[in-house]
Amino acid sequence: MDEDQALSEGINIKKWNDRKNSNFASFYANMPNENGAIEMSSTLQLSIPGRADSIRSFKANGGRIAGVLPIHYPRALFRAFNILPVEIWGPPGIDPVFGSAHLQAYICSIVRNALSFTQTKSFQSVDILVVPHACDSLQGLGSILLDFVSIDQPVIPLYLPRSGGMNQTAFLEKEFETVYQRLESWTGYSPSQDEMMQRILNEEEADQKLASLHKQRKNLSLSDIEFYRLVRAREFLTAEGFSEIAQKAHDQVQDQVLDGIPIILSGILPEPMALLEEISRMGGHIVADDLACSGRRLYPPGRSQESFLRMAESLLGAAPSWSWGSPIQDRLEHLLTMIQTSGARGVVFYNIKFCEPELFDLPNLRRGLQELAIPSTVVEMDINDPLSNQTLTRIEAFLEMIA
Amino acid sequence: MSAGDWLRYTWNVKYLGPAALRINRWLSEYRSRKDPRWNPEYLAPPLRTSFRNKELVGRHWLEGRYANLNQKVAWVTSGAPVEIFKALDYYVLYPENHAAICGTARVAVDLSSEAESAGYSRDICSYARTDFGTLFSGKTPVGNLPKPDILVACTNICQTVLFWYRVLAYHFDVPLILIDTPFVYYEEASPHALAYVKSQLEQAILVAERVAGKRLKEGRLREVARLSKMASELWLELMERNTHHPAPISAIDQFIQMAPIVEMRGDPVTVDFYAAMLEEVDRRIEQGIGAVRNERKRLLWDNLPVWYRLRYLAEFLGEHGIVLVASTYTNAWGELAPMIDPDGGLDAMARAYTYPILNRSTWYKLETMRQMIEKYDLDGVILHSDRSCKPYSIGQMDQRDRLLKEFDTPALLLEADHNDSRSYSEEQVANRLAAFVEMLGA
Repeated sequence: MDEDQALSEGINIKKWNDRKNSNFASFYANMPNENGAIEMSSTLQLSIPGRADSIRSFKANGGRIAGVLPIHYPRALFRAFNILPVEIWGPPGIDPVFGSAHLQAYICSIVRNALSFTQTKSFQSVDILVVPHACDSLQGLGSILLDFVSIDQPVIPLYLPRSGGMNQTAFLEKEFETVYQRLESWTGYSPSQDEMMQRILNEEEADQKLASLHKQRKNLSLSDIEFYRLVRAREFLTAEGFSEIAQKAHDQVQDQVLDGIPIILSGILPEPMALLEEISRMGGHIVADDLACSGRRLYPPGRSQESFLRMAESLLGAAPSWSWGSPIQDRLEHLLTMIQTSGARGVVFYNIKFCEPELFDLPNLRRGLQELAIPSTVVEMDINDPLSNQTLTRIEAFLEMIA
Repeated sequence: MSAGDWLRYTWNVKYLGPAALRINRWLSEYRSRKDPRWNPEYLAPPLRTSFRNKELVGRHWLEGRYANLNQKVAWVTSGAPVEIFKALDYYVLYPENHAAICGTARVAVDLSSEAESAGYSRDICSYARTDFGTLFSGKTPVGNLPKPDILVACTNICQTVLFWYRVLAYHFDVPLILIDTPFVYYEEASPHALAYVKSQLEQAILVAERVAGKRLKEGRLREVARLSKMASELWLELMERNTHHPAPISAIDQFIQMAPIVEMRGDPVTVDFYAAMLEEVDRRIEQGIGAVRNERKRLLWDNLPVWYRLRYLAEFLGEHGIVLVASTYTNAWGELAPMIDPDGGLDAMARAYTYPILNRSTWYKLETMRQMIEKYDLDGVILHSDRSCKPYSIGQMDQRDRLLKEFDTPALLLEADHNDSRSYSEEQVANRLAAFVEMLGA
């Protein structure tokens, strides 16, 4: 695998080389094979296509690619235009120099990397860029991309409402209509209501399978890193492709197969993914998560027969989070429910440096857990940094404490 | 209200407090005439109306101390549609202004430390940390803060206020009204965005009425909106007087004088105050008095001020004959004046509150700066890269480049924080300012 290929797989070559020389031997068990696919080392016989493969094969069939920044967006809407949404969570470990020339040092690494990523060769596979409005930093990034930083791809901003109630749903429905019109004018194609609905049903099926994987976590013979490679494949696979793989995993569900000190991971994303390997090595096991890239996006199906409204209902049905303006109390109750149902003994808040929305909620969430004698710890990271000994020591000490 | 409470409120708020504030104003005026605090060698003496400002703002916070005895209290963000709450007779408190007072009083770091001890990161907005510090410690330079009956957060200035007010709602367990104003990426807000804001205003009125225990009267809302518009227009006129050479009122003066337009918008006293200030500024123009005695260069300030170093900045620049003539920040409270329409109902209100500069694109801010450079005949721009205000600061690096390359206007990016002096390096700021001053040829 050469550097370009590794980058297009979303893998940082520098870290990859670093890791080659490290003792994370088991990490390679899950690296993409020469065809770009990820073979699971567990007893489950699963093969997940790599990101680049997924993009190539979709394009080979006449489709286009939408690069999508975090967090929420209507997948079905893009698929109705034969566009595959592929999510960009940074990506981690790329050279952030370009981003640093446009953004101050106190802007988070996801946003900085995303801006840098627009200048890479890998980004050329993206045909259109979608910037959902998750926070001030992503809002600013969207604006800079529209106003100052010239990229070849059209940029579509998407505002996510936070007011709660019916007017929130009505607004989101209209916002999706606007995106539809932009895509219509860009592609020259106008998907019918039936086509839209079919795509919605496909996505809902994939979402339900994803939710079911989370629910069956204890009964899947997958290590943490394998599990997150599987569920995060939803970030770039088609709904149909993901559903097929998820079904295979479901078909092999067993009685409880995993043990380890059960914990919940809360934050934005589990990067570097080697973290998950390390948690397993220390005897920990992630039984549930409150991650923006994962557990906060388990969307229930919509109810309406009208496509835009149905997509809005689905997205707004996700777990409470600041990205929807949910009260902190709701977030706390959600965490407590997860702890109760998963049997977790503690929570690791795994935060990205400068992520203001997470940082505002943190003290009250921790206090709420503490009042119920549920231990928690906080780790801060930058997606460009390697996994530090300090981080590992803190998590190890935490696991020892709750063991 | 019990008889005892009535007596306490009336005595303190109507008689004793105002008398003390009036005496304090006279003393301040007297002391200032004898020995001005800000270097008179470079800077004009303070406006006489500025002492009245201190008294006015003092009275507002004095009322706040006892507000829980007398009326419902709303804590609101600086961009919130305050007219609704004023018309329902709420006492309206602005935590951002409180934090700024703490910043100028140099107690913000101590208060932030209290918040940090409670688990809040130094990477969150220093205004929020300052106010959390007051919540946890009870310490404040304004005596004490009344407890809110309702919280109102409008996202037209940032998303941070949403996260901040969720913490307040959790702490006080009172209703949080959120007015979510979709960010305007293009020249115009979409019709569905405006409809969304309007529907939230309708909902907000219902909640505000329920908490207040009274109905909102249309005539009263119109009257408050009219006063709001008058004050905003006067504020805009005041700033526009700086098209004169020399500029009669610096942006640093404006930072100090802007408190009433932010926290007392919709009050008749605010209109009277700015009308009086405008008269005084006009007299300055007639007499040829400039804010800086020997004005040689005129600059624009972008972003919030560095509250704890206003005097340093004024004196440093004044010494070199440089005056900060305008600021995108103070301009924000004037530029919407034409959009405030007392007879336009909630449609007009939705428009006005969707369009503040902070809710608009990075291009719009650059265009505003370009227009201000032209209008005020400016020689350069200082962009305060404010660690605590991401939405205002993102885009500044590109804006600076465009100012330099496309508008041939010197521009300096200055790293600091509006309230937390720990993120401010005097040495570094002095070096950068000195180099910039040299480049300007001042």
